[in-house]
Amino acid sequence: MKSLSLKNLAKTYFDAYKGEHVTAIRDVSLEVPAGEFVSIVGPSGCGKSTILNMVAGFIPHSGGDILVGGEAVKGPGPDRGVVFQSFALFPWKTVLDNVGFGPKMRGVPKAERDAIAREYLALAGLSHAADRYPNELSGGMQQRVGVVRALANQPDVLLMDEPFASVDAQTRMTLQDELSRIWEERRPTVVFITHDVPEAVFLANRVVVLSKGKVLAEVDVPISRPRVWDRLVADDQFKDLSNQVLALVRSA
Amino acid sequence: MERTSRFSAALIFVAPLAVLVVLWAVLVPALGVRPQIFPSVAAVGRAGIDSILDGSLLRHVAASVSRVAIGTVLAVLVAVPLGILMGVSRGVSAFVTPLMRFFSVLAGIAWIPIATLWFGYGFGAIVFVIFNAVFFVVAYNTLLGVSTIPMTLRHAAASLGAGRRSMLTDVLLPGALPNIVTGIRTGLGFAWRGLIAAEMIATDVGLGYMLFVARDFYQTEVIVLGMIVIGTLWLLIDRLLLVPLERATIERWGLVSP
Amino acid sequence: MNALLPLWSFVVRTSVKWPVLRTLAPFVPVVALWWAVAAWGPFPPAFFPSPPDVWTKFVTLMEKGILPEYLGDSVGRLAIGAAVGIGLGVPLGLWVGLSKGAHRALWPVLLFFQAIGDIAWLPILIIWFGFGLTTMTFVIVYTVLFPVILNTVLGVRSVRIELHRAAQSLGAPPWRILTEVVVPGALPNIMTGLRNGLGYGWRALIAAEMIVGTSGIGFLMFDARRAGSVTEIVLGMIVLGILWYIVDAWILAPIEQATGRRWGLVTQ
Repeated sequence: MKSLSLKNLAKTYFDAYKGEHVTAIRDVSLEVPAGEFVSIVGPSGCGKSTILNMVAGFIPHSGGDILVGGEAVKGPGPDRGVVFQSFALFPWKTVLDNVGFGPKMRGVPKAERDAIAREYLALAGLSHAADRYPNELSGGMQQRVGVVRALANQPDVLLMDEPFASVDAQTRMTLQDELSRIWEERRPTVVFITHDVPEAVFLANRVVVLSKGKVLAEVDVPISRPRVWDRLVADDQFKDLSNQVLALVRSA
Repeated sequence: MERTSRFSAALIFVAPLAVLVVLWAVLVPALGVRPQIFPSVAAVGRAGIDSILDGSLLRHVAASVSRVAIGTVLAVLVAVPLGILMGVSRGVSAFVTPLMRFFSVLAGIAWIPIATLWFGYGFGAIVFVIFNAVFFVVAYNTLLGVSTIPMTLRHAAASLGAGRRSMLTDVLLPGALPNIVTGIRTGLGFAWRGLIAAEMIATDVGLGYMLFVARDFYQTEVIVLGMIVIGTLWLLIDRLLLVPLERATIERWGLVSP
Repeated sequence: MNALLPLWSFVVRTSVKWPVLRTLAPFVPVVALWWAVAAWGPFPPAFFPSPPDVWTKFVTLMEKGILPEYLGDSVGRLAIGAAVGIGLGVPLGLWVGLSKGAHRALWPVLLFFQAIGDIAWLPILIIWFGFGLTTMTFVIVYTVLFPVILNTVLGVRSVRIELHRAAQSLGAPPWRILTEVVVPGALPNIMTGLRNGLGYGWRALIAAEMIVGTSGIGFLMFDARRAGSVTEIVLGMIVLGILWYIVDAWILAPIEQATGRRWGLVTQ
């Protein structure tokens, strides 16, 4: 696990049709110590996905620094695992091969990476689905595979871009419970993007509210762990924090 | 169990064709059709046996099939890498798409006149026409396939540590495969027709030639035999080679080719 | 770098305003390359004409009225093929698609006759009808017909049974179900079939014109082949390409996409 730090991060791009420069991210600084879970919330268009894409290395940043464990990032790399909203599973690979993809890229031999993949699949209760193709699984199952695939590559930082936005409400709560449990077991450094305030509060140690390309506020979440929805639905501290964050997002 | 159901499926498929043959056998003598207009079943059967025995049918089929095979394999080998190369960058693929469309429109038959001028009548010109028919269609479809792979899949692979090579073998190639297969199927369709046309014009062996020469002597039984062989060959290529390939990949992966 | 941005922005804006330019622009370097190869390349002009040669030929043939006449002949034949192909193919396809018995009896026969392929019919057609218009019309109708029938059948069979039932329970009589449910449901497939059919038909027509023709673009090219005029062949190819590009990219593909996309149906 390593820390992630963003220093005066900025993104401007040139809109060729309008013929002008557009500022997407003005000036964002953020420290995520190793082993911390940080959620970033904000209204659509606030730039939260842009930040994640820059940290992942999918798009270049135009100002400031992105440091993982003190080193500047250059392009996408296995040190930062990504979980996508659209799952992004390879349709032509079985679940086992999807999860074993990262180790395969590191040159791990077939038998060994299958063992790794099976171990991680067991972590999410997916052992029975190993030989299925993604399209044969439900949305919730697919995203479990997406999370497990990122974890199996043992990244220093896990980046999650609204990962549960396209599954049904019931499944979403189960997935949140599971993610919370897995985080407690493995303690990865996580940056979690969402527009769902309760989700952000439920999962994170700290919630960052973003607005118009800038950090509006940071809210610590000192709720004790393990966290499960059965307990938290009726928890006053959870409700208060959620309302506090919600008010901030509304004002954004 | 499976074998019997397959057998009965084949039987159901063949039965209507058998009925057609019976109708043909009854109607031609009943209506007194002259053999110069349409042959009897027996005449076609005799022509078939004769041409098998003297080896001429095999020679024509071998010539046609080998031309198609060589032209197609060459074309696919060149078109797929090129299509992937062009499809990787949005800018390049947007730029070359109209070009590829234009040339795939021309693919095949329209090249016969110039091919015969450049290469002379014979093997070279025909293989060129087939190459052409398959090449542009496959290259265009590969390009299309690569450019429709969701960007997030490429991002996912990159963030899992995929380098250029694995990106190609594990993402771009399988992602474009449904389109590549569709391209090969369409291209082969054009190539097959182009082959028959080219053989009528530009050679002295092959199924197209066999048909066209028979016309000079009003040998309708040879023409009909040739048509049946051409139809059967294409059905075999399509059903035993292309359709299973499409099924094995596309359907299992849940991908839809446009 | 920054100085180039306004230029780039101009390019983007122009191409959004006139999408045609985006289609035409890629041909500029291709023609330039062709020109350069023809000017300095190792090929003799009789073998590899240059763009101005082809242009001059184009002007001459236009002035003589040969090109417009041949073009009209080819397009006219294609139009007849399309009209007859739709007129026969759609009703036949609907019948085969809706009736189980007809499907069982005719599907293999249809597949087989499609597999024989238009061009293989030419020799026997020449015996039956001689070198001429009937032969060519037969070939093109034959070529357009099968993809239209086969795709209509696929389309009819892809209409979900719930839609039939919904229409029935809303009180639609059988023929209204046909016009209100089956035909619209199959329309995207029918358009795909027509587009494929005309694509094949176009090529078949060129082949037929080469082999039996007395007019048409295919004949023009093959006649030029006999006379050894590469310029005329290249001109013919360009005319063919442009014509079909216009028909396919600007007429058929948009119609196909409009029906398929608008209704959220995916055509295979």
